[in-house]
Parts: sequence; structure tokens; C-alpha cells
Amino acid sequence: MPPPATPGAACSRMRMFPFVWVILLVSTVSASAEVLLPGITGANLEASLKGQLLLEELNCAACHEAGPALAAASKKAPRLGDVGARVNPAYIESFLRAPHTVKPGSTMPDVLGAMPEAERAATAKQLTHFLLSLKKPSFALQAPDAVAAGHGATLFHSRGCAMCHSPRDAAGRETLASSSTPLGALEQKYGFKSLTDFLRQPHLSRPSGRMPDLRLPPREVESIAHYLLQQTRVPGHLHYTQYRGQVWEGIGQDAVEPERAGYAEDFSLGSIGRTHHHMAVRFEGWINLPAAGQYTFFLKANGGSLQVDGREVFSKEPKDRRGVVQTQGAVSLAAGWRRIRLDYYHTGRDPSLTFEMEGPQFPRRAVPASMLSVSDQPIAAFISPPVDAELAAAGREKFGALGCARCHDDVGVSARAAAPLARLDPMRGCLSGQPGRWARYDLSEEQRKAIAPAVTQSVPLTSTPEQSLHGELARFQCLACHERRGLGGVAPERNALFTGTAPAMGDQGRLPPTLSDVGAKLTAAGLEGALIQGQRVRPYVDAVMPQFGEARMRPLVALFAEVDHLEKAVFPAVADLQESKKAGYEMIGEKGFSCIACHDFNGQKSAGAGALDLVSVTQRIQKNWFHLYMHSPQRFHPGIIMPSYWAGGQSQRPDVLGGDAARQIEALWNYLEAGTQAKNPLGLSRQSKELRVTDVAEICRGRGSIGYRGIGVGYPARISLGFDSEEMALRLMWKGDFATVDLGSFQPRGQDTVSFPAGVPFHRLHSLEDQWPAKGKTTFGFPQNLGYQFRGYDLDALRRPTFHYTYGEVRVDDFFEDARDAAGKPFFRRTLRFTAPAGTAPFYFRAACGGKVATDGPGKFTADKLQVRLASPHQGLIREGEVLVPLTLPAGVSTLTLEYQW
Amino acid sequence: MVMRRLCLFLATWACAPVLIAEELGAMWGTAAEEARYYPIVNIPIPATVPMRPGGLEILPDGRLAVGTRRGDIYFIKGAFATPPQPEFHLFASGQDEIFSLAWRDGAMTATSFSEVLRIRDADGDGVADRYETLSNNWGYAEGHEFAFASKHDREGNIWVALGLSGSYESHNLFRGWAVKVTPDGAMIPVCSGLRSPAGVAANAEGAMFVIESQGPWNGCCSLKHLKPGGFLGHPASYNWYAYAGDVKEPVKPNSDSRLHIERSRVKELVPPAVRFPYIKMGRSLSGFRLDQTGGKFGPFAGQFFLGDYTLSILLRATTEQVNGVWQGACYPFREGLATGVMNVEFSPQGQLVAGGFTTNTQWPVRGAEPFALQRIDWNGITPFEVREINIRPDGFVVAFTLPVDAGFAADPASYEVSTYTHIYHAGYGSPEVDQTTPRVISAVPAADGLSVRLVLEKIEEGHIHDFDFSRLRSKAGAPLLHSKAYYTVNEIPGK
Repeated sequence: MPPPATPGAACSRMRMFPFVWVILLVSTVSASAEVLLPGITGANLEASLKGQLLLEELNCAACHEAGPALAAASKKAPRLGDVGARVNPAYIESFLRAPHTVKPGSTMPDVLGAMPEAERAATAKQLTHFLLSLKKPSFALQAPDAVAAGHGATLFHSRGCAMCHSPRDAAGRETLASSSTPLGALEQKYGFKSLTDFLRQPHLSRPSGRMPDLRLPPREVESIAHYLLQQTRVPGHLHYTQYRGQVWEGIGQDAVEPERAGYAEDFSLGSIGRTHHHMAVRFEGWINLPAAGQYTFFLKANGGSLQVDGREVFSKEPKDRRGVVQTQGAVSLAAGWRRIRLDYYHTGRDPSLTFEMEGPQFPRRAVPASMLSVSDQPIAAFISPPVDAELAAAGREKFGALGCARCHDDVGVSARAAAPLARLDPMRGCLSGQPGRWARYDLSEEQRKAIAPAVTQSVPLTSTPEQSLHGELARFQCLACHERRGLGGVAPERNALFTGTAPAMGDQGRLPPTLSDVGAKLTAAGLEGALIQGQRVRPYVDAVMPQFGEARMRPLVALFAEVDHLEKAVFPAVADLQESKKAGYEMIGEKGFSCIACHDFNGQKSAGAGALDLVSVTQRIQKNWFHLYMHSPQRFHPGIIMPSYWAGGQSQRPDVLGGDAARQIEALWNYLEAGTQAKNPLGLSRQSKELRVTDVAEICRGRGSIGYRGIGVGYPARISLGFDSEEMALRLMWKGDFATVDLGSFQPRGQDTVSFPAGVPFHRLHSLEDQWPAKGKTTFGFPQNLGYQFRGYDLDALRRPTFHYTYGEVRVDDFFEDARDAAGKPFFRRTLRFTAPAGTAPFYFRAACGGKVATDGPGKFTADKLQVRLASPHQGLIREGEVLVPLTLPAGVSTLTLEYQW
Repeated sequence: MVMRRLCLFLATWACAPVLIAEELGAMWGTAAEEARYYPIVNIPIPATVPMRPGGLEILPDGRLAVGTRRGDIYFIKGAFATPPQPEFHLFASGQDEIFSLAWRDGAMTATSFSEVLRIRDADGDGVADRYETLSNNWGYAEGHEFAFASKHDREGNIWVALGLSGSYESHNLFRGWAVKVTPDGAMIPVCSGLRSPAGVAANAEGAMFVIESQGPWNGCCSLKHLKPGGFLGHPASYNWYAYAGDVKEPVKPNSDSRLHIERSRVKELVPPAVRFPYIKMGRSLSGFRLDQTGGKFGPFAGQFFLGDYTLSILLRATTEQVNGVWQGACYPFREGLATGVMNVEFSPQGQLVAGGFTTNTQWPVRGAEPFALQRIDWNGITPFEVREINIRPDGFVVAFTLPVDAGFAADPASYEVSTYTHIYHAGYGSPEVDQTTPRVISAVPAADGLSVRLVLEKIEEGHIHDFDFSRLRSKAGAPLLHSKAYYTVNEIPGK
């Protein structure tokens, strides 16, 4: 066994083993001889900055000590603690043997290259066993879903994956491999589960964030994984594809959509999951016939057709109003593997499928799975190799000795450091361009030349804030999508990949926005929203803003602000803020500039272009930029369809605020500053099913979680309640978003729900042992039989309702108002106003219910998480699960006030 | 879920369960000719307005009011201009689905599934702020339990027809009944026996009628008189007599019988006044209104105009009282509307407004638009039509809108009359049964040519009399625009 090799430090040994050259040349000749870092290589940056970035991206500082600044900036290698669950063991081994052949362009150095072939193979095996020994390997393969893969192809190219990785043609070949971050053959590397796990949380295994988290919905992630893994081959009996739509028109028709695909056990519905009223299923595969001869096939179904060995055996169109019919056909077939395809159609209630075969040596019965296969060639099943403890132990030793542990420092193995960076000779070792017993990076001549000066610098490059910023934009490939001051931007060959759902907006509806002056445009909150919180303010752009991780993005928020400056606009003095807001309200609506004709507003879609929602503008945008931009949108977005409303300084609404441009722009700003609580402008669409509360309360009625006669009220303090107008009782309170409304129904949207059980608000209990009355299944006429009658509600100036009802001879006016406590937390104050005749018999009011009811002092109660505070002089009492307030009403008007907070 | 509910509602409302591919029935084929007298004008709806029209009303200032399934009430200015220049104003919002509107004394009464609601704008800012529930005292605990209401009657009452639970049974209070809600909010049960009613409206004499849907105990869609104390045919609603005050539960009708036979057993049984032969004359009739335009809408003043949801058509109906029982006839009027018609209303200018929608599920509607507000304008040209048919002890008087050619009109061979009825049973719908073809014995045109007195060999009590006038010609030599009419004989007047 050769002495331990330390990458880069063992330069001098090279000459002692000239034969190593030959083997290396043979084994690595097909490598691309370039680490593919297109964000850096392709960027228009100074050479010194490029060298510095390459040094960091290759993590040179992991072996060659160079101070904490460089170490912090450098890209960490993938975490290997759970690599056995993530990556196919066979891939690990072959990748270790020849990383640049298996994945050309990889930043992973080849550390086994100097070994003889046999030793290299043995070492790769040992390292693999070591890695598999770290965690119980759970890697598995799954058959691809071709239907999802079809969606995945679209998503891969439009969501942003293909802006860094190469786009692929219909055959799956990479079309721009040389200018893209390499992926290698993913079907050899990942299984469906491990790839979706990785795509959902890429920073778990790649902590430096170069591979971003796109925050896509699970279905999209799964579709992309199916697309990238569509070459995965696993054994199985039959392919199936399920279709829905107007299936009686036949598979392949426009109105028949494929829904999902996968493997089925046999020709039955049992193993394909959920079925529909109208569906078709295509089963495809191979059947192994025991003998040549005449075979008869029998189908009992609503409709179907069969092809065997390329010949149609029968075909029966489905009928909408027909049950199951029998059909059959015969065909003469040779023995051995024959291709078979059954299309099954179903319309109506209960899907039913019976498929049988009869032939030589095969009495009539269903075709067993054992005679079926997805291929006429054998496909080996994936079997997780058992971990050999001896090999793993040897691997662990090599992992340290070969220096792997310098970069992959998460598996509890240590390795000796190499010579400090400052003492290296850039013409030798890793950077010599020659193979040897060092970590061999697949660098091009140009890349080596760029790195060399960075290596020899005694101190790390000092760069201006602008250089640092551009370095980061290059490192994270921001400039593949965004243009900034003439740097980067969408490459012509990728331009067509950028798509959108608002074609009326032209390029603004599909291309990510420019980053020029963005630090003078967005507020810190706006930058954080984009860089850290993954906010999508332009939902019509199909590409999403990738998330690279807070650790790396947080400094950019300050850096943008430091670098970008624009001239100061003059903000006009506002004498009357209310007048200004009102003018803004009028200008945004249909009687003003009708901004809402193109812009969405508070979640309501515009009838026109669908441009970004205006209610978040003042949170995201700096007021200075807003003024500059409104004066001249063209200045910031040449070709934008948004016009200037003050062309030549003349307002299109000379009647508003004296026609003064600055005052009008200020007014728009002042109005929009109310954010989601800005009063809905005139002419705003009401088509959205989400009902939002702005400056006044909103009401919706109908069926839902509080019964058939529910009334939902959303208040501006962002608390809502559900009142049951059948039993005149408070049923539900919640916080946050108000409600989704549909025809005659609504559902609460928010969170922190407090609910009350069914039952009326008042009752004359004979004793405290009596049950509180609620409607039973056959208590028809409840609660009118107890003297109740609902009489509707009035709205106040803030459109908050006062509910009216009667309880026997007592008239009740029941008003809820939203209020906030000293800490700004919202609560409801409820005032029950009674009008009663003299001699009204005492009764109880049920103020709250809960699993755990307690008192907190006079007039203070808790029912689970709800606090109830009774205003004096009223006193409450507790019995099991209920807070009751005894009421003895005086003649005339009296009130009961209480507060609900939770 | 809601759409599923409506789909279910429609699937049991008027028709046997219908699947997509089933034919909706042949068109009359008269649309092009109808358009020469009654053009259809579309009232455009802005994309920002969620408009699934349910209830229609005319405001005192002449604006159109529309109540929607989203629970909004819009006031629309300019809907009746030519061409329409509608401006939509949101008057009220946040309600359950609204299928009926009625304005009176400065307030809008809207009826939804849940209640009869009187809505006012007390502060005069143009937007409602007083929502006064007049009554919600009927049971509503299943998704299917629709409520359709009339305009105010002469006493200011609103009549509400309450459909059955799931349109088959009556699980909740007063399902299958018609009730009357007084201006001070009392609810008075009126009559039982409804199945899946749709519109409610009064005729020229002030008698209140409801549209009923084909189904169990209903051989076809019909116009039923809401006779106080009456039983209108479907016994599921017998559950609630115990809650109806001083009314005695009638004996149960026998199934597999005939209406006119059961009438002699069940004295409360009120036969449908006008039956609409299925598919030929609609398959899910909906809202209807009396033509009180005084001739602004053409020669049919005082008649009912009715919408049909599935076929996107409009029909006419006339009523007369014989021996204390209402009966009458129905006539084709206009086909080719853009969507499923839910309601109709007359404008002050004498235009007929029709509004409605389709569902996105399996319920088929001939008009393809998801929703529409349309107007049928009369252009002043009188079509040659059967205006009205009235019964006589030995036959009928058939009135026309234009003088008939006396030569054709006086020839009994110009008339084809057949009769049939339906099985009265708990099963769904009914074929047409007990067919007869009575001979026309004589036909005597009036001197002005505007009517013909027919004497029949026999009038069949309890039967629809199906008239074919296609051989007739006007004095100008033109055939009738619609040559069919159907008279329901409940009673034969004494000589």
C-alpha cells in the first residue's frame, strides 16, 4: 500500500511513478477538462475576481489553510452522512472511480486517479462501503410515472431548473451541456424518493446553497423528479396509464387527458389506485405465451380494445348509458414474449373490469402476473448491497488518508491538512494541469490561469462592495435570469424557456425583473421577501425566485442598499392626509387612472393584464423609487406597457389635487400605505372566491362549518366570527384571513379557531342540573318553540352588524366590535342590549363553553384558550363545560358587555 | 360541493336523471322566424362582476335589479337602453343564493334558501345597511332545500314555495309546502303537496301560482294554483300538518291512479292548472311573470311568460277558472336563449328580461353561455300566433293575434286534436297515457277573423288537449309562427 497521499502536497512523488500517467490518460481521456461553473466562467467579471470565486467554489481552503474569511466564503462539499439513502451505491462506487467521466464538469476532484486500476477499483469499493456504513442504507428505485414526467418536462424548463442546468430535447438529451451546471445521469444516481427528498430540501445535503430550493409545491417537485428519472428501469408486470375526461371519444382525443401512470400487477383495477366515473386505462406490456396456437381473449367491461403482437383482437366502444358488456376475440400467436395492450373504458357508476384468456395449455382464466412483464428482456431488481464491515473500515481509513474528509467533514473522520495556500506553487500539484497523486480537478487552462494569482495572493482579495455584490450574483448564477447594469441577463439560447401566464404584459410577464438599481428600488423588507422569504410577487412569471438560504443571502440585503443609489425625488408636503388618501383611492379606481384595469388588487384579479398586486407596493418599494418610477416607467423598464400618467408633466386627471404630479403620486402612495386594509377601489373585480377584509367589515352567509344559516363577519382587526342565525348564537371565532365564499356557502380561512357547541344563547334553566337546550334531530320548530325569532341585522358605518332577535318578550340587539388591547392584540367586545317588559322572568346567558372552564377572578373566565371578561355588574358562574351569566332584566333597556380574547 | 349540490338539485328538479349524451329534445325550429318579431338583445356583463342571475326586479326609477347566486344584489342602469349600456351598482352583498326579488315601499325583499329578507338603504348612500329577516321559520338543513318566492301580493305578503329535501322526501319543517310571509314577519302555511317548485307568481286575477317540476307524483312540469288549504299532489309533505295550525291532514292519494280520479277521493287535491307536455314544452320550467305591459310586449297582455332552464326557451301560459278550479293552456314563444333561464321580468319599456346560468357539471343546458342577462324586445310587428284558448261546454274558443283565413278556419279538417293524461303515481314522471282523438264537429270563425269557435265530439276531463293548427293560414296567407297549443281540462263548464 502506498504511503498516504495528501492532495497537492505530494507533488514531488509524481516523477517516481511515471506509469501512473498511462492509466490516468486512459481512464480520464473522455473528461471534459473543465469544471462547469457557468455562472462564474460566463460572467463578465475581472479576472482576479473570477480566480477568487473559483478558489472558493472549489473549496481549496478546505485543504490549504487560508484564514477564516476564505473558509467562510467557500462552498462546502455535499454532506455524506446519509449518502447511502440518497444515492445509488453503484453510482457512488463508479463516481469515486472516475468522477469526471461519470459526471463531466463536476467540481468533485478525482483523488484516486494516480492509483493503478485494480487499486483504484478496490479503493472505490472500500470508500463506498464506508459511506454505506454511516447510516442504514434505504435507497430504493421506483418506476417512473410517464404522465407526471410530461408535466415535469414543462416545469423543469419553465420554473427555473433549466436556467442553470441544461435544457433537454424530447429524447432527454442535454442541449446546452457545455454552458450549464452538470447533472450527470440522474437515473443512475437517484431514486424517485431520494430525488424528491433532495429537491424539497436541497440545503440539508448541500449546505452552501448553490443548489437552490425552488419552494415548489410537492406535486411539481414529484413531476420534475419523474421527468429527470424517466429512464429508470425497474422490473414489473404491466405499465398502465389512466385517463380521464370524455373517454368515450377514445385515448388520444383532445378531451381525454392522461392523469397518471405507473405499474400494475395485472389486468385489473385493484392495483391502480383511485378510479373515476369516466375513465380509461391503458395497460401495456409483454405476455409470455407457453405455446403457439389460437388464443381467445374475453373482456367484460363498459368498453375496451385489445392488441396482441401488433394485431387488433377486438374493439368495443364505450356507451354512456350502458352497463358492462361482454366481448371477445381470437388470434393465432407464436410462443414466447408477445406485446399486449388493453385499453379499458368506463363511464358510469361502478367501474368493473374482467379480462380473461384461453389458449393451448391455458384454460380460460385471468392472465396471472407471472406471465406478464413490462419488458421482453429481463430487468434486474435493485438490491441494496450488504455492508462489509472490513471493507468499510478500510474505506474509513482511506477517507482520511486520501483527504476526502477535508471537504466532507460531516462524517467524523479527520484528515491531515495540506500546505497552507500562501505557500503553494500554482504551477504544480492540483493546478499543474497534470495528473498525479493529488486531488485532480478537471480545470481548463483558462480556469487554472485565473486561479493561480488568487492562490499566491498573500491576503484575500479586497474588493469594493460592488465587486463583492457582483461576485455573489455570479456565484449564485443570479445573472442567468437577471440583468444588472449590462451584466448577465437571459442568454439568447435560453430566452424561449422563460414563459408566463400574462401574455398581455409582454416580456414583463415572463422575464425576471432587472436588478439594476434594485437596492434603490426595494426596501429591506422587499429584498428580504425576494431573497430570503421566497415571496412571489409576480405569480404570472412561470420561473420562480430560487432560495439559496438565509446565511448566504442576508448580506446581500445590505450590499444592494450600499451599492445602489438614485437621485432624490422631492416629496410634496401633505397638508391633509385624509384628502391625499381619498385622492389616491379615486385615482386607482375605474373613475381615475383605473390602475386596477391592469393590476391585481388585494387578491382580486384584474380584468386585464393581471399585473402585480398593488397592495404590497409600499411594503416592498422605496417611496423615492415609487416617485421616480411613476413619473417615467419607461426609464426603468424600456418597453413596459405601463404608460406615464403625467407625460410632459401634465396629469391625465387635472381635477385631482390641482393636477400636480408629485402630489398625485404622493396620494397614490398614501392610499396604498394602508396595504391590505386599503379601501377597495371603485370598479374592483369581485370574482375572487377569497373574501378579504379591508377597511370595513365583510359579511358572507350560507352553508358551512357553522350550519346552514351561518353568517360570517370579518373585521378590520383581522378577527372574524361566525353567527348562527338559526339559533341566534355565536358559533365560531378565528384570526387571520376571513373566508372563502362560494355560491351559497362559505368557509373560514384563518387560524386560531374558537368554536362553541350548538345551542341557543339564553334559557330559563329550572336547575343548574338541567341540560342546555340544543336542536335535536326531531325537534322541528326549534328554537322558535323556545320563543326565539331572528330578525336580521343592521350595519354601522364600518359595516359591522348588530344582530337583532327576540327571546320571548325580550328584544335583543347583539353587537360585536373588534378592538385591540394595549399590546395591540385584537379581541371582540360584545354588547347585548336588552329591551324587556316589566316582570321578565330571570334567565341565563351562556357566555362560553369549553373542555376546561375556569374562573380567573370576578367576571373573568377561561374556556380552554378563550378568555371571557364580563363587565360589571354582571357576574358569571361555572358549571361543567359552561360559563353562565344569570340575568334578571329590569323593565326597559339594559345591557350586558363582555369581551372575548384568545 | 356547492356545484355538486346544484347539479343534484337540477338532476331531480324537473327531469329524470339525465346524462350528458342524452338528447335534450328537438328544437322547435322557429328561432329564425321568432327573431323577426322578438329579437334577443344581450345585456353585457363586465368581467369584474360575478353574475349568476337568480332573482329579477324592476326598481321604481326603472333600473333593473338582479339577485345572484353569490348573494349580491346589483342595480343596473341602462339595461333597457338600445343598445344596452348597463352600469352595475352593488346594492347589497353577502347573502345566501338569491332566487327571488321583490321591491315594495322603499325596500327590497330577497328570498334565499334561508329566509325572507327585507333590505333597505337607511342612510341613503345607495348601499344597503338594514337587513331585516321577516321569517326564517322553515326547516333548512339539507343542501337541496330551495326556496322560491313571489312578488308581494295585494296584502303585501310574500309567498314562498319550499322544495322537498333532496326533492324526494320531506325531512325538515314545511318542506314541500307553500307558506305566506306577512309584512310584519309572520309565517302562515298555505298548502302542501309540492315537490321541486321553482317560480311563484300571481295571475291577472291575483291568484297565486307556482311552477312545479316533473318527478314523483308529477307526470310533467306544471303550473299549480297555491290554493289555501289545498294539497298539490305530492304527499311527502303530509309530515307537517301537525305544525300547520287548524288544518286537517287529507287522506293519502292512491298511487298508479289518475289525478281526476284521486280528486274525488282527496277533496283537498288541487290539480295542476296547466300541464306542460314533457320536452315538447320544456323540461325544467323556472321563473315566470305576468305580462302587465298593456300591450307594449305585443298581443299577449295578461298572460304568463315562463322560462325553461334546460332548453333555454320561453313559453306562454293562460289561465281561467272553471267551476272554481284554475286551468288553462300553454304555447311556445321563443327559443335560442344563451343560457339556462332561471327567471324572467318585464321592463317598464315592455321588454322581457331573462337571466340565468349553466352549471359546470353534468346537467345539460342547451344554451352554452355560463351565465347571461338577455332581453327579448318586441319590434312592433305582430306575429301570427294562437293568442289564447278558452274552454266552452262543448269545445273551445281559439283566439288569434291576426285574422285567420276564413276558408281554412271554417273547415273542421284544418284542426287536429288529440288528448292524453299522465299516470298519477309515486314513480318518476309518466308517459302520456289514455290517448283519444276527438273529432272536431264544427269550426266557426268570428266575423273579425280573430277567433274560431270549435265544437268537439267530446272533451276529456282530466286530459291535456293537444292542438295542431298547422293547416291554418292568416288572411295574409301566412302559417302560424307556432302551430301547437296544449289545454289542460280539469273541469268542463256547465251548459
